Amino acid sequence: MNREKDMANYALVFFVVLSALLLLFPSTKFAQTARIFASYSLYPSLHYGAKYDYYIRNVPENFLNILKTDQENRELKNRIKELEVSVKAAEAAEAENRRLTGEMGLARNFALKGAWARVINKNPLDWYGAFFIDKGSRAGVTLNSTVVGFEGSRLGLAGRVFEVYPYFSKVLLITNGVSSVICAAPGASFEGLAEGRGTWLLKVNYIPEGSDIAEGMELVTSPGGLLFPQGLPVGRVARVHPKESFMNFITADVSPAISINSLKEVYVIKRELPEDLSGLSEGAKK
Amino acid sequence: MTIIGDILLYLLTGAVYWWWTANLTVFGLSPNIIFMAALAAAILARPVKAMAYGFLFGLFLDLLGSGVFGAYALTYTLMAYGVYILKRHFDLIGGFSQIIAALTLSVLTMLLDQSLSLIFAKLNPLELKAFLVEPFLNAALTPFVVYLFSQLKKGFGVL
Repeated sequence: MNREKDMANYALVFFVVLSALLLLFPSTKFAQTARIFASYSLYPSLHYGAKYDYYIRNVPENFLNILKTDQENRELKNRIKELEVSVKAAEAAEAENRRLTGEMGLARNFALKGAWARVINKNPLDWYGAFFIDKGSRAGVTLNSTVVGFEGSRLGLAGRVFEVYPYFSKVLLITNGVSSVICAAPGASFEGLAEGRGTWLLKVNYIPEGSDIAEGMELVTSPGGLLFPQGLPVGRVARVHPKESFMNFITADVSPAISINSLKEVYVIKRELPEDLSGLSEGAKK
Repeated sequence: MTIIGDILLYLLTGAVYWWWTANLTVFGLSPNIIFMAALAAAILARPVKAMAYGFLFGLFLDLLGSGVFGAYALTYTLMAYGVYILKRHFDLIGGFSQIIAALTLSVLTMLLDQSLSLIFAKLNPLELKAFLVEPFLNAALTPFVVYLFSQLKKGFGVL
């Protein structure tokens, strides 16, 4: 028992002296370097932005440079992440700028006056049916105004204004199942009724048997239709169906002149419509 | 084998302390695992080994901390010796006595470390909220750590 007590006393003296030496001579390079190495390895975040003048005293310069480089590296990595986000945003803005510049150029040469509007909402359940634009009656949009879309250097009929609110409007697309447009082919002698089917294709009906319709032919709005200005591109004939034996007219599939489901901006044509048309009921075919 | 077990226990305790303080602090507070381990070693081990554990655990905290180097080593060495003296007069095997010892020794070690930091480096490392809360966290968990260490002692012969 006494031996253990003696050993305990010796151990106490030994460790206390050792601790006191560490306390009295704390500036040894080895101790400080080991200490900062351990703490930096286990808790690097402790050192970010810290004023550790006291802490790093007597640590060799080359070791400090490694630590500073590591901190600089972490800061630069964070900066790169921020810049990547900025670059993506700038690319999107640049693409939009290019697209709008092209569309504005087309609009200047477009004889019909109107206003630009941005597509603000689409219902996934009614993708080819309708969308909302950010212009309403306060911007001069009226019921049944013609809506035109642009795709690159092409323009095409997108639909007509279906509902008007003070600050936004709803556009009924030509691909909607209740839409129909009287169309004709430039230089040809026939007219047909292009009807929406709720998909990306239109169907043209009532083309007289023996008409010179052919695949690839461009169809535009007909002068016979009162609702839309004449001459607006509607689409291109994708497929002509053979005449059924019990019918006396032929039908054709038409792909719209523009990709209607990817429109981001549209041009709403302002023009005076006959009074009867301004009160056209919702969803009614003209 | 005992030495290897002791080294492993030391490293394991350090790893747990490091993980806990990095991931499980609440409002910047966490129990001092190293303190509890040093106290458990002081209660369970023979005095020389207990002081060696205290010194080395203190050295671990000194390495990680930014206070004066050697303050924790001295503090925990003295704590181990104090527990050795206490054991001869009080029963530290019971959970309640371990809680009281942990509470008291937490406060005393904090004050001693603070005093050494002020004397040797004019540093003030002790935060008030840690001073007010940490002793209670240590006291609450110390019986569990002592039990764990005692099982390791029985099972693997460490300490």
